[in-house]
Amino acid sequence: MLSPALILLACFYFAPVALTTAFAFTDMSTATGIGTGAYVITPNTLRGLQDEGLPEDVAAQVMAETYIVDRAGLDAAVAAGMDEGFVADISARLTGRAYDSARDFIRALRELPNAPRSPRAITAAAEIFGRSALNRRFETREELAEALAIATPEGAIETREQLLDASYTGAVFTTENFRRLATQRETGRVLLNTLFYVSATLAIFNVGLALFLAITLFYLPKGLMGVFGTLWLLPRITPLVLYAILWKWFTWEGGFLPILAEQVGLPSFNYMKGSVVTAWITMISLNGFIGASFGLILFSGALRTIPMQQLWASEVDGATRWQQVRRIILPQMRWPILFVTTYQTMSLLASYAEIWLTTNGGPGRTTTVWALEAFRTALFNYSGNLEYGLGSAMALMLVIVGFALSLVYLRLFRFDELVTRPRIEF
Amino acid sequence: MRLHLDNFTKRFDGNPVIEGMNFVVEDGEMLALLGPSGCGKSTTLFAIAGIYRADGGRILFGDRDVTNLPSQRRNVGVVFQNYALYPHMSVEENIGFPLTVGRIRRDKAEVARAVREIAELIHIEELLARKPAQLSGGQQQRVALARALVRRPGILLLDEPLANLDARLRLEMRSEIRRIQLETGITAILVTHDQVEAMSMCDRVAIMERGRILQIGPPTELYRAPVNRFVAGFLGNPPIVFLEGRTAGQGSFAMDQGLHLPLPPRLRGLPADRPISLGIRPEHFGTGGTAQATGRVTFVEPQGRETLFDIETAPGVILRSVQPAREDVGVGDIVTWPIDVDNLLAFDAEGTRL
Repeated sequence: MLSPALILLACFYFAPVALTTAFAFTDMSTATGIGTGAYVITPNTLRGLQDEGLPEDVAAQVMAETYIVDRAGLDAAVAAGMDEGFVADISARLTGRAYDSARDFIRALRELPNAPRSPRAITAAAEIFGRSALNRRFETREELAEALAIATPEGAIETREQLLDASYTGAVFTTENFRRLATQRETGRVLLNTLFYVSATLAIFNVGLALFLAITLFYLPKGLMGVFGTLWLLPRITPLVLYAILWKWFTWEGGFLPILAEQVGLPSFNYMKGSVVTAWITMISLNGFIGASFGLILFSGALRTIPMQQLWASEVDGATRWQQVRRIILPQMRWPILFVTTYQTMSLLASYAEIWLTTNGGPGRTTTVWALEAFRTALFNYSGNLEYGLGSAMALMLVIVGFALSLVYLRLFRFDELVTRPRIEF
Repeated sequence: MRLHLDNFTKRFDGNPVIEGMNFVVEDGEMLALLGPSGCGKSTTLFAIAGIYRADGGRILFGDRDVTNLPSQRRNVGVVFQNYALYPHMSVEENIGFPLTVGRIRRDKAEVARAVREIAELIHIEELLARKPAQLSGGQQQRVALARALVRRPGILLLDEPLANLDARLRLEMRSEIRRIQLETGITAILVTHDQVEAMSMCDRVAIMERGRILQIGPPTELYRAPVNRFVAGFLGNPPIVFLEGRTAGQGSFAMDQGLHLPLPPRLRGLPADRPISLGIRPEHFGTGGTAQATGRVTFVEPQGRETLFDIETAPGVILRSVQPAREDVGVGDIVTWPIDVDNLLAFDAEGTRL
């Protein structure tokens, strides 16, 4: 009975977290690809290693291009399906020769009677005889090691190993992502932004406004509840792109608010991106209005479960409306408030689409939050190198923070006390 | 405090639930509003508490017209059927709540003293630290009563306070509530559908049906001299039996099924051939009297101290009898038992008592 649920749980809940965790400890990016890598030494690899102390002469040896025409090369050429006449020419005229540059070797090849006309075919043929380790793609570590052994016969074993490690183009396991996050100054800035964004949206809109509206509507005639509930749902059911465009119309120069401000003599500019303060206000409001409906609906439902007699009793006891709200209603709303707070904290921590489509973290990076930064790092940036590993590491931090926060909330609201069963049924 | 309902009217969505109701509860008196569910008794109670607004007439506390005052300013105590204790507060906080809200600021010591005093009166001193969920039904009931009384209200309103208790506790709380009401001398109104509660706890009982008070008076008066068939049928357990028939001259009563009975002396003057119904309470059949009826026992229900009998005196005509416990009569026996004619009740075709 339980197994289908467990399978679903494993596939859709644990697997993403497990994979994110795994990726977070790799340097996976567009450059490495997501599959198995090959072994390639590029001039860049060598330059990097030289900074780390690779001996000059070894680097020069690896850089050197060498072409040797020998038995092995000829066999390889036949195996590669090269024109037999051409191979015979090479075998007859060039066997035993060695060249130091590709240009010289290609010229020699081109002079052969049976040489193919296409320069590409000649280049391909030349490569078969190349003995250089540089810029060549080796499928396995051993192949590259062999090539290196030829290129730098006297190179130390450690140096060779270092070269081999550095030449791998696939993703490798590393804790580098976390070191980078811990050391770069940008992290603190984004963290503070996130903290401010989540707590302000949560306090002002998702819980504050929702609770205020729910209690206000609770005291209004019944019919109004349906109308208002639906109205507050509109931001939630509007497609996000459309909602973002509406906010642009609302806040951009020439939009509703700036024009209105101009009429009354207030500063008028692009509020969404024009200043840090207005960007924050825009961002928090537009996210808040989406989230407020959730709390409103939940709180309204919870309010209706408080027995009417309790409210009557408090009125008969002499409580004013405010005292009734503060002393009878709010203490009994602890569980829904906890739920909304927890749930919305998670939603807000993970939300970036609204921000991406509006302020996009600007002006500058002043409203960039963690999730947006993770999204940009891993999935969308202009440099084109998507750093999946680093992005996963950032996402993993979000998961951990979210988990820790839920535990704190449960503690704070004394959850265990809320769920204990009454000792006497009535 | 004297309570006066003057032409009180209440409508829900335009439908009149109570039209022009009048009654007075004297200072220190306890009145029961008794009637079947839906008769408007709770509505009346909530209107007195200020929870419902009156749509017409006046509600007077003493000389003060409170008709348009919100419930906060009426100073009434209410015990609700489900007690309506605040689940997140301790018993002490629950009882003290009325003293800590409103416009008057009281210091903590004063509140604590008042709570302790009332808790002693209600016998719940040892429960003060508990939460409502940790109390039994009877204890919750007492806490609700303490909370209603702590502010020394002018009027105590009880809405079916015993309905949620088991039989034993109900008996206990019945006398407890009456004791506390008498000790505090508070004017009280009890809403109930249980005639035993109403009759045993209250000085006077008002019987309600469909938003009207049919009869108001001391319990025994209502029982002995009901104004109509409804009141006669509502009071009494096991209930009264009505026989439909006609006057047959010379002060007698006859049924089509063949049963003949003499009318009580005060009704002997009724003209013949008038449709009336005769009410015979079970305690007036089989225990003594001048007339007699013969029939077959169809049902015996021993109740310990008493035994109930159903006697078929004519086809389809069943009289009920309650007698001190006896085992000499069984189902199927033919018995001839006396009827106490003087105590028979007679009603005309409209149901009014003659």
